[in-house]
Amino acid sequence: MIRKLLRRNTSPARVVGFVLSNFIGLTIVLGALQFYRDAGSIWTSEDSFVKSDYLIINKRVTTSNTLGGATSGFTDEEIADIKGQPWCRKVGLFTSCKFRVYAGLQSGDRTMTTSLFFESIPDEFVDVPRQQWEYRSGSNEVPIIMAKDYLTLYNFGFASSAGLPQLSEGLMGSIPMTLRLSSEHGEQVLNMHGRVAGFSNRLNTILVPQQFMDEMNRTLGSGVTRQPSRLIIDVSSPGDVAITQYLESHDWEVAGDKSASSASFLLRVIVGIVAGVGGLITLLSLFILILSISLIMEKNRDILHSLLMLGYDAGGVGRPYIMLAVTASVVAYLLSVVAILAMRAYYLTPIEGLGGVPTGLAGTLLIGLVLTGVIILLNVVTVRRRVRASFYK
Amino acid sequence: MKEINLQNTLPQVFVSEHIPASDVWNAEVTFSRGTICLVEAESGGGKSSMCSYIFGARRDYVGKILFDRRDVADISMDEWLKLRRTSLAYLPQEMSLFPQLSAWENVQLKNRLTSHFSDRQLADFFERLGIASRCDYPAGRLSIGQQQRVAIIRSICQPFDFLLLDEPVSHLDPNNNEIAAGIILEEAKKQGAGIIATSVGNKIALPYDKILKL
Repeated sequence: MIRKLLRRNTSPARVVGFVLSNFIGLTIVLGALQFYRDAGSIWTSEDSFVKSDYLIINKRVTTSNTLGGATSGFTDEEIADIKGQPWCRKVGLFTSCKFRVYAGLQSGDRTMTTSLFFESIPDEFVDVPRQQWEYRSGSNEVPIIMAKDYLTLYNFGFASSAGLPQLSEGLMGSIPMTLRLSSEHGEQVLNMHGRVAGFSNRLNTILVPQQFMDEMNRTLGSGVTRQPSRLIIDVSSPGDVAITQYLESHDWEVAGDKSASSASFLLRVIVGIVAGVGGLITLLSLFILILSISLIMEKNRDILHSLLMLGYDAGGVGRPYIMLAVTASVVAYLLSVVAILAMRAYYLTPIEGLGGVPTGLAGTLLIGLVLTGVIILLNVVTVRRRVRASFYK
Repeated sequence: MKEINLQNTLPQVFVSEHIPASDVWNAEVTFSRGTICLVEAESGGGKSSMCSYIFGARRDYVGKILFDRRDVADISMDEWLKLRRTSLAYLPQEMSLFPQLSAWENVQLKNRLTSHFSDRQLADFFERLGIASRCDYPAGRLSIGQQQRVAIIRSICQPFDFLLLDEPVSHLDPNNNEIAAGIILEEAKKQGAGIIATSVGNKIALPYDKILKL
C-alpha cells in the first residue's frame, strides 16, 4: 500500500533511460579496461628477460664518424647527464668482451663453429631467476641469453641455404655449445660450455652474466678500457615524450623492438580515451538517476509529508526509492557484464592468436561493482535528504 | 508524556501585530494527561498553527513549547516520528487522507504501523459512524463529513498521551458528533490520555475540563 502510494509518478521511460545509459557507460568503461588487460599482454608478455621499462640506447653509427675514427662509446659526462634526467631511475652499462670467442654447436655428426662476441649488463637488469643466471667462479658452464633475431637468421637464412637442420628455441637450449675463449693473440685459451638460458626480442646481443664477463676480461683481456657503446636505462615511463626528445637532441637511438612500446603506448592512450568517454556516460547516467528519483520524490512530496505526519519512519518511507535505484543499477551492471562476456568471446581468439595471454575477469567485474556501489550510495544519500526535506511542509 | 507547556508562545506572523488578549498566546498554558481541553478561536486565530507546533510539524513560533519540561526544539526528526506512533495523535483540520486509497486503506495505513486495533474493532467504528458501506470508496470521492469520520477513526489508531483534534466535527451533524465523541472518549479514557480539541463554532461534544480562548 505504501509502495503503491510512493511509486506514483514513477516514469518507466526515465528509469529505462537510466538503465540504458548506465549500461552503455559501464560497458564502455569496463570493456575498455578488460580489453586493455587482455590485449596489453601481447606486447608485455613477450620478453621475459628485460622489463618493458628498460630502454637500450646507442649512438647512431654514421659514415662520418666511422671515417673520422670517432668512437661510438658514451663518455662519463654523457652517462652522468642521463643519470641526472628526471625520467631516469638507473643506468646500466654494457660491458663488451676484450677476448676472442669461438663457439661450436654439435648437430648430429656435424660441428658448426663460428666466431662470436659477448656482452654483459648488470644482473639487476636481467629478469631471469637467479639460479638460472648465475656463473660460479671456476665453473666451466656459462648461461647465455641470445637475441631471437640470431636464431631467426640461422634458421631461415643460414640453415636452409647450407642444408643444416632448423632449430627450435627448446632444442637450442638442450644442444651442448662448446666455447673456446682466447686472449687477443692466443696466448691463453679456456674451454667452456655454454647453456642457452633463453632468447630475447629486445636485447640485440649475446649476453653473459656480469661476473663471468669481469672475470674473463681480467684473465684474458688486453687491459685496454673502452667506453660502453650501449646503455640500458630504467625509465619511469617508457612512453614519455621527454625521453624521445632528449635522445633525438643527442642523436641517439633506442634499440630493440620500438614498435611494441609505441603500440602499447598507443593502446594505453586509446583505451584511456575510450574509458574516459565511458566514464563520462556513466557519470551522466548517475545524474539521470539522481534527477529522476529527485523528481519523483518532489512530485510525491505531499504523500511523503503525510506519511511522516502519520509517524512512518524516514527509512521506511525512502525504501521504495532506494529499491528502485538498486534494482536499476544492478540490472544495468548485469547487462554490461553480459555485454563484456559477449565482446570478449568475440576478441579473445584473435588476441590469443597474436600471442596475448588473457587475464581474468575478476578485477574488471570488481571495478564495475565498485562503480555500481558508488551510484547506489549517492542515490541513497539523495533519497535520505529528500525524505528529510519533506518533514516540514 | 505527562504534560505539555506553552510558555509565551506566539506565531511569528503575530509578533509585530497587536493581538487581542488570549489564554494561549503570550501566556503560560499547561495541558495535562487525562484532562480534556477545548481551545476556541475565531478563524485565523492560529489554532491550526498551535496544533502543528505541538505536533512538531511547524517551527515558525517564538517562545517555548515543553514536553515534560523538555524544549521540543531539541527533539530530533526521528524522535518526532516515534512520538507520532507512540504518544501524540493528531487529526489535522485538512485531514490529509490519501484520496487515491479507499477509506479502509487510509485507516489501515496507520493501524498497520501501530497494530493498535483489530480489523473487527475498526469495522465496528465504521459501523457506528455510519460509513461501513463506504469502506471501499476512494477517500477522495467521499463527502467532507464522511472523510472527517474516516479521519477520526484513523487518529485514534495508536497509543497516545495526547490527542490533538483540529476542528474534528466541523462538517458533522449533531448525531454523528455524539457518536464520534463517544468513540474518542472511550479510547482516551482507556489510555488515560489528554485531549486538546479546537473549534471555531461546531465543537465536538466532549465533557471539557477546561475551555481556553485563543
